[in-house]
Amino acid sequence: MSAGAARTATAVTVTIARDPALVRTVRLVAASVARRTNKDEEFVEEVRLAAGEACALLLGQSFADGSVAPGEPVAVRISFNDTLVVDVSTSGPVDVVDHPDSDVDGVEPWALLRGLINDFSVGQDGDVTTVSMSWPL
Amino acid sequence: MDLSLETRHEDGHTIIEVGGEIDVYTAPRLRDKITELVSDGNYNLVIDMEKVDFLDSTGLGVLVGGLKKVRAHDGSMRLICNQERLLKIFRITGLAKVFAIHSSQADALADL
Repeated sequence: MSAGAARTATAVTVTIARDPALVRTVRLVAASVARRTNKDEEFVEEVRLAAGEACALLLGQSFADGSVAPGEPVAVRISFNDTLVVDVSTSGPVDVVDHPDSDVDGVEPWALLRGLINDFSVGQDGDVTTVSMSWPL
Repeated sequence: MDLSLETRHEDGHTIIEVGGEIDVYTAPRLRDKITELVSDGNYNLVIDMEKVDFLDSTGLGVLVGGLKKVRAHDGSMRLICNQERLLKIFRITGLAKVFAIHSSQADALADL
């Protein structure tokens, strides 16, 4: 288990190993940065949920059965100016389409993020997949 | 805060009081508890989420899985939740229509 954090003037980046226990750390950091925007607690809660959810999805749905998959770390970058931006990235392709048989116990993995965030996208740059979410401030 | 699970039996129902965070890390423990209860013949479950601080889609998956398990035995699963931030998650995912969600244990047990 390992986690590292670096902070610049406008952004915080956290990198975690593929350990589901560390997703909580990401949520705490995301909430802390969101509070710096001086918006209300509902906003903070949404950012906290979204950052953790994106992180958990990139870690892999296989964690629902308690297993831990090996692999590259997951990086979370949170920054704000006019908008608050959360980018969650990891190496390797990520299937972001909910197929009819992809649900975990009846919940489509990406449904919550899609419903929660208006500005939500998933990009692929070489071997890196990034989930980007932003909120106007 | 980690996940806490307390179980008791009342009026023919099994009440699981859940506290803390139900997420990708802790949800398997809740699933194991539900599986254990159903295996022991407890088919009418009440999940009290009043003390839950956080819920993600993995946690939702465990709840839906539990619902399927008890329904397979003609049982039921009621949720107790009055926190708007959690209710919002159920609404966004369309699960507010799937679960019977009550505001208190008294309300859930009265609706039998």
